[in-house]
Amino acid sequence: MSSPSLATSIAGVPLERPFVLASGILGVSASSMAFAVDHGAGAVTTKSVAWAPRKGHANPVVAPFEHGLINAVGLSGPGAAYMAGEVHAYRERCDAPILVSVFGADPDEFSRVTRELIEARPHMIEVNVSCPNVSSEFGVPFSADPVATAEITAAVVEAAGDIPVATKLSFHCPSLQVMARACEDAGAAAITAINTIGPGIVIEPGFRRPVLTNTIGGVSGPGILPLAVRAVWEVRKGCGLPIIGTGGVETLDGALQILMAGASAVGVGTGLWRHGAGLMDSLNQQLTDWLAAEGCASITEIIGVAHG
Amino acid sequence: MAEIPTMGHKALPILEIIEHGPETKSFLLPEPFPASAPGQFVFAWLPGLGEKPFSISEHHDGAIELTVKALGPFSRAMMDLAPGDKLGVRGPYGSAFDVPGPAVLLGGGIGIAPIRFLARQLERAGRSAPILLGARSRDEHVFVDDFERLGAQLATDDGSLGHHGFVTELLGGLPMPPDTTLCACGPELMLVGVRRMATKLELPVQLSMERYMKCGLGICGQCCMDGSGVRCCVEGPVLDDALLAGITELGQAHRDGTGRR
Repeated sequence: MSSPSLATSIAGVPLERPFVLASGILGVSASSMAFAVDHGAGAVTTKSVAWAPRKGHANPVVAPFEHGLINAVGLSGPGAAYMAGEVHAYRERCDAPILVSVFGADPDEFSRVTRELIEARPHMIEVNVSCPNVSSEFGVPFSADPVATAEITAAVVEAAGDIPVATKLSFHCPSLQVMARACEDAGAAAITAINTIGPGIVIEPGFRRPVLTNTIGGVSGPGILPLAVRAVWEVRKGCGLPIIGTGGVETLDGALQILMAGASAVGVGTGLWRHGAGLMDSLNQQLTDWLAAEGCASITEIIGVAHG
Repeated sequence: MAEIPTMGHKALPILEIIEHGPETKSFLLPEPFPASAPGQFVFAWLPGLGEKPFSISEHHDGAIELTVKALGPFSRAMMDLAPGDKLGVRGPYGSAFDVPGPAVLLGGGIGIAPIRFLARQLERAGRSAPILLGARSRDEHVFVDDFERLGAQLATDDGSLGHHGFVTELLGGLPMPPDTTLCACGPELMLVGVRRMATKLELPVQLSMERYMKCGLGICGQCCMDGSGVRCCVEGPVLDDALLAGITELGQAHRDGTGRR
């Protein structure tokens, strides 16, 4: 029997390998994203890009704890026009699909950023309505409210033209099923679930102070895996869109759970810290071996199987 | 590969401060980790003032040492600290110098910090290596007695101490067996000069680089270098010839906090 296939697809975009570099991870430049592809990523997502350059929060922007990290980078970025250049440079050197994560203060900014970035012909646009780390500037994330999420999704879909749009959701909303349906009705072609959890706080007792300059930061790492699995499960029940399942995946077991809950591709991020840059290469190999041992010819045979 | 540190920030009381001058001091802290290697770095954190990466300048028995020059608001604030004050630390991060064979050590400016750790480590192993140190002027040389005890040759840009000129100009006078590794840390233009010299002499190099860093954990991408995209905080800061060959931005402007070059 030939080696099982890891090939999958999201909204018609083919991925040779199922692991997607999550937004906010190594997504600064063409070179940093190419580094992720060289280490096994099947697709990459840029760091969220807003219209104007943003410095983000001052260091410390990450605080490690026993089961993961909290972070509040604060959406630092070079601005839409500059990032379009990086996306263009990436497209020149890598074949793995690229998702551009867009952010804005309102639907109009989301729309302008999208129009600027599609000039560089990314494979997908991801709508970041769920960043928890800029609430002092922008208020509660849009992803808490299905009406606001749908409005922004529709604006980006319109601006993106023929490029498919994925909306990135938060665990924190009244109903992920309702939210997913709202995105589908607004024209989204896929759902990414989930963004970081919380936000939370880490205090260093020796200083009697919170570690992060922003005080609060989104929680990531293996501790949130069951929440991500649940989120993928709910989105699968709520709509018919393909899902990029993201949150806490650091092992083969975690990847299998996300796939079996209904995701067509698996986001990887914080795991690159404790497992190193080789994590996605290793997971590709482990997944291939697991599928072979189970007698599966393709990864597609296990997507959503846990729903029975 | 070294074990990836998982500890978070620890507030440590400063044990001792060594004044090299008004603008440069060494801080001794109780060791937050049992071992580190020359070239590795830690993040130092002061609540409300920020967090910056610093090379470890020595790992004593039970204490680590950071040698810091006042260059920006954070390092300037460090100059006001006193023994007993707390400094937050996380690490150790990054790659280290690795010299099984003959070596020449080159340090420029405050880039002497990891070179001092490497020189002391070689000394503890009963080995010696020529040491070449450059600074703008006499006042900017630190650990002079310690380095002179180890046989270091000094250079200054203004001629106020030792050789008048660049530290790389001292390389020509040294006997260097084949496969001598040139280990260097200093301003990037000095490192480019060391690499050019190494290419000419057909010698390997290990260069300790500096880039704007945020996470130090290898995930944010801020310190990825153009070309191969290697991360200054994980594959670096010490890069060998194989890693340097993939980088296209050496000696050029690199990315700021927004990601622009």
